[in-house]
Formats: sequence, structure tokens, C-alpha cells
Amino acid sequence: MIKPALLFGLVLFSLHAHAVSSISIRVGHLQSGAGELRDLKLDYSLASNRLALSSRYREAGDGDWQQAGLDCARLLNRAAGSWQCEQGRLQAGQIDVQFALKFVRKTDRQTQDIRAELALTKAAFSDAAGLRAGENVSGNLSLQASRTAQSWRWQLEADWTAGEVFWQPFYIALGGKRGEGHSLRARGVMDAQSISVDDARLSLFDVGAADFSAELRRADRNLHHLNLRTRKVNLETLYPLILKPLLEKTALNNLEIAGKGDLRLMMRDGEMKSAQLNLQEADIEDRNGRFALYKINANLPWDYDQPQNLKLAYAGGYLLRVPLGKADINAAVNRYALTASRIELPVFDGGLRLKDISAAWIDKQWHWHLRADILPIDMAELSRALHWPAMQGKVAAAIPLVTYSRGALNTDGDMRFELFDGSITVKNLAMQTPLGIAPRLSADLEMRNLDLGTLTRTFSFGAIEGKLDGDVKSLRLTNWKPVHFDAAVYSSPGKYPKKISQRAVENISSLGGAGAAAAIQRSFLRFFDQFNYDKLGLNCKLRNDTCEMSGVESTSEGYVIVKGRGIPSITVLGYNRNVSWGDLLARLKRVTAGNSKPIIE
Amino acid sequence: MNKYILSVFLLLSSFLLPLSASAADLEINTPAIAAIKSSMQSRHAQLEPHYASGAVGLTRDGLVAVRDANAVPLKDRQALNALVAAENKDRNALYKEIAVANQNPQWESDIRNTFAQKWVEKARAGWWYQGASGGWAQK
Repeated sequence: MIKPALLFGLVLFSLHAHAVSSISIRVGHLQSGAGELRDLKLDYSLASNRLALSSRYREAGDGDWQQAGLDCARLLNRAAGSWQCEQGRLQAGQIDVQFALKFVRKTDRQTQDIRAELALTKAAFSDAAGLRAGENVSGNLSLQASRTAQSWRWQLEADWTAGEVFWQPFYIALGGKRGEGHSLRARGVMDAQSISVDDARLSLFDVGAADFSAELRRADRNLHHLNLRTRKVNLETLYPLILKPLLEKTALNNLEIAGKGDLRLMMRDGEMKSAQLNLQEADIEDRNGRFALYKINANLPWDYDQPQNLKLAYAGGYLLRVPLGKADINAAVNRYALTASRIELPVFDGGLRLKDISAAWIDKQWHWHLRADILPIDMAELSRALHWPAMQGKVAAAIPLVTYSRGALNTDGDMRFELFDGSITVKNLAMQTPLGIAPRLSADLEMRNLDLGTLTRTFSFGAIEGKLDGDVKSLRLTNWKPVHFDAAVYSSPGKYPKKISQRAVENISSLGGAGAAAAIQRSFLRFFDQFNYDKLGLNCKLRNDTCEMSGVESTSEGYVIVKGRGIPSITVLGYNRNVSWGDLLARLKRVTAGNSKPIIE
Repeated sequence: MNKYILSVFLLLSSFLLPLSASAADLEINTPAIAAIKSSMQSRHAQLEPHYASGAVGLTRDGLVAVRDANAVPLKDRQALNALVAAENKDRNALYKEIAVANQNPQWESDIRNTFAQKWVEKARAGWWYQGASGGWAQK
């Protein structure tokens, strides 16, 4: 790595031999491809064996001169090839290490043996950006190596007992308590081309251990082969230490995990060949409350050449507040493609049945398609789970095709909600980045024969008797708020009793502003509890946060929302053609909240 | 001659392209933009001390970056990374959403550049930002 040393400028070299008491060396300027040295001073006392070395240095391409110093309170050279530095200290730039080093080198014609033992205390180091840094690091490192012909056979033992290290993106801290510490034991062979690790064990305190063998190519520093097998890893401690930093940019970056897991990996020629992940009684919960799965047991093998069967079972969980029941999932994985003929995910008394699932990992993204059925789910329970007003009925759906690609979810088929004794059909449902910061949803809705009695009771609106149809076209939600739609609700065709209560009339009127409601209160109409009506309807075109309103008929002053019939007849008119969507929502909220107390009619 | 005309045309279009983006309404509001802005606002209090200490700087592409993690204790550097990653996710989403709301998704990179300048203009004295050449400068 280091280019041949080039000597530039003035080089001063002086050796003062004051009898035999000490040796001093001074060098003025030394330059090599790696950098420059200035004012190098070396002093060694033969009486106390103290070594002091200091210099200013500058790395190649870097402008700043830094001071460096190496100090050994006692530097011993008891035998040929044997060096020992006691109470050593190395200071250079952002490195400050206290250490003790023993180094023994034995050579004969064919072989060479080296043995080094290094004990670090309170070591501090950092790169310029502070992204690879340690403080108060204590540990021991022992290395043995012997050279035979073309290669070195080596053995390493490293124990890290105290201190903290931030090595982007990981942060590992040890308190220095007894028994606490991470260690690495490894042995292998190094030659000109590669470093091979034949047998190694990495033990992480409180997390678990991994046994591995590997081969690293020296030319490109790439991992060529790897065999890794972990033993009873504690997921609860593994997640914050290793997994969370790696998942920081994904939806899995704020989890709480418990349970045990094991991983096996095999890499050949730089390519992943096989892997197997097992989970035992694992719990995964999103701290943002978006999803959770409990008591996961999974056996997830993968092989580059052989198709494998995946099994995953969980006892329960939830997704966006919808509770998930116990499920058993089987799927097949063939290199980068995943298929399953049928997956059932129970939700309350019904559930989601996925069929003909096919997914592929292409360009570092998942693309999938499937058929989905919603087996009838009780709306009473679902609406409670979703914190909606209590609804009776069922939701069921048959969606012939659901596709997901590049963060967009599209459906081809209808979702049918059987609600309020009628039906609501959701068509053309599509979603983008459902778990992102600004999820988008688009759909068309069709409502048929909704019972107004049940509907008005559910939303505490004031009683209306009758049936309601409705169409919401090009509904678009962003961040779950409507930004665009063409909505129309109107009396269903056909013959049925049509009555509207005084309170509902007031409420509908008050949606258009306070004045209309007050007018009714002042008139004789306030003496009637309910009125007959011929038809009712309201349309809203939402654009730019403004609702363009119209009713069942137009008049010179406005539009008719409720057209009365018989005696006493009441007609509710709307006057404002353009109403701010925010105002309208606030009024609706006031109306439904104000009427939420039970009123006997 | 043809070459000359072409280069004049290129020169003109290079002036005109940023102009078309300056017609973009940067203050446009949609629920998505509101959600992103409120997410960024609630994060700002956490980022502010890091701007002041120089740990985080404003990049020339309208994002933020860890400039000098040494200003932050070791144990907090991971959280600093996460903070920067979350902020950048929001900023990228913001530029995209503003372009989409202006019904010109292709304006995204111009909107990003305009914001990059805006952030530096709004920065307090002492904060670090990336100059046109990529080097850090202190305001």
C-alpha cells in the first residue's frame, strides 16, 4: 500500500552517543506517498529503558499538520526478536491509546513465528467525520502467526471488555461489568491473494454467538466465501444492536422484538447461495402502532438452485388497527420468486383469503399480484376496532386481481360492504405508499338502498326514514383526507315511507349555515316532530378544498335538498353553492356531536 | 453557423428551464404537503442544535447531511443519523409532492434547487451549508 519512500528536502540525521546512557535521533523532514513527517525526535534511555518518539505529520492530500507521539515507559528487548512495551501510549491526531504490547518473533531459514499480545486501556479513536470512533475502549488482542513457504497460518483472539464504539451505522457500548464483553476467536491462513478464516466464533454479550468461516480476497477486499451459523440469538437484544441500524430507512426501523431466532448463510464466489432463517416464539411490534405479529414461528429457507418451502405461523397481531387472528402460511420460494396457492388470514369471524399469490424480487423491489377474497367480516366488530361509529352488517369482497409494484397497490374488482340494510361497493381501489408519510388512495363508491333510519341513528344525525343511494366518483384521499371527489346522495327509487324529523331538518339546514335553522325555529313548523318528503339529495364536487354543492332541484335562490310532500310540507333549501370543505366537516361534526345524546322521539 | 445557432438555443433553453420552474407555486398546499411539513416542523427542534454545532449542514441538493459527528457524543450519533435520514426522506417527499401539486412532476429537481437556496437564505448565522463546489461554508 505504502509507496516507495521518497526522501525530499533536508534530511537531518544525528546520533549522539553520550557514552552509552541514551540514544537520540532527529530527522527534519521525511516524505513518502502516504504523507510527510517533520521534526521527528526519538529518545531512548538505556538506563530506564524509556522510549519517547514524537513527530509532526501530515497525511498525503490533507492540509493539516498534526502532532504524534509514542511513549513506552519501559521498552524491553530481552532476547533477539522479543520486544515488550510497558505502559505505552500512542497519541496521533484523534487517536489516544494506552497499551501494553508483547511481541516475539522467531525465525529460521524456512519458518517464521510471530506472537503478539496487545492490551488496550481507555483507547480513543476517531476518523475526521466522527463516523468511526471509539472512546474508553478496553480489550485484549492476541495474534499468533507462523509462516510456511507462501502463506501465514494465523490465530486470533480478541476480547472487547469495556468502552463504546460508533462504527457507522452501529453503536455498541459495554459497561465494563464482570462477564460483559464481546469476543472473536478465529484462525485461518493468509497468502498473497486471500485471507481465509477456517473456523471462527463471534460472541456478542447478551445476544448470542455466530460460528463462521470465510474467505476474503485481498485485491478488492471483497468477501468471496462465507458460511455462517448463529446459535440461539436473542432477538430482543439483537434488534437494537444490529438490525435497527441496518433497517433505518425501512418501515421496520422502530420495532420491538422478542423471542429467539437463528440464521444460516452460505455465500460462494461473492454470491448468496443459500440461507435459512428460523424464528421461535418471536413477537414483532411496530412502536408507531401500525402493525404487530405475536408468537411467530417460522422456518424460512432459501436456496439459489433449489426451490424451498416457507412456513410461517403466528398466533395473532394487527395491521392498521385491524386485528389479525391465528394464521398458518405456506409458500414456495424459487430463487427470487415467491408463490403460494392459498393463504388465509383470519380477521374476526371472517378474514382475508389470498389465492394464486405470486411475488418477485426485481431491482431490489417486490412486485406481486394475487387474487383476494374478503370472507364476510362483522362490521360491528370491525367498526369498533377502527374507531368508527358502531355499524351493523358485513363486509365481503371478491377481488379478481390485486397488484403491487413500486409502492403502488391496485385492485381490479369490487369490494362489497353490506351495511345499513343496503350495500356499498368500492371499485377501482388503488393505494400508493400505504405505509409512507403521505399515503394516497383512490376509489369509486356506489351505495344502494341504505336504510336512512339505521344510517341517521349510527351517525346521530336526527331521524330520517327512507332509503338512500349514492355515488362517489374519482374519490382521492391523500394522507387519508379527501382531496377530490364527485359525490351525489339521493333517495333510492321505489316506494317506501319517507319521513324526516324536525331535528334532521334543522341539521341539514345548519350545514348551509346557522340562519336557515333559526328560521325554522321561528316559524310554526317548530310544532311538528316530523314531515313527509318527496325526495332528498345532495351533491358535492370537491375541488381545491371547496365543495361545489347542488341538490335534487335548482331554484333561483339556491338548490333543493329536501323536497316536501303533503301537509305540513317542508322544503329545505341550500343557498351556498360553494362551501369550504373544512367548514362543512366542522359543521357536520358539530351536528353529529351535538346530537349524540340519546333523544326520545 | 449552425453550431452557433444551436449553442445560442441551448443557452436560451438553459435560462428558460429554471424560469418555468419559478412559475411553480412553492407555497401550494395539499394534505400530503401539510403532513410532510408538520412532520418536518416537529423534527426541527431536534435538528436545530445540530445545525448550530455544525454536526449537520445543509447540502446543495436541498437535503441535510452529517457534516461533523464529533460535535455529538458517541452514543447519540446513531440517533443523529436516523434524524438526518428521516429529515431527508421528508425533504425528498416534499419536493416531489410540490411538483405533483403543481401538476408538473418534472419540475422536481428545479424545485429542489430553489429550496436548497431558500434553506441557506433562511439559515441562522453560524450554520454550515454546502457551496456550489461541494465544500462546506459557514454562514
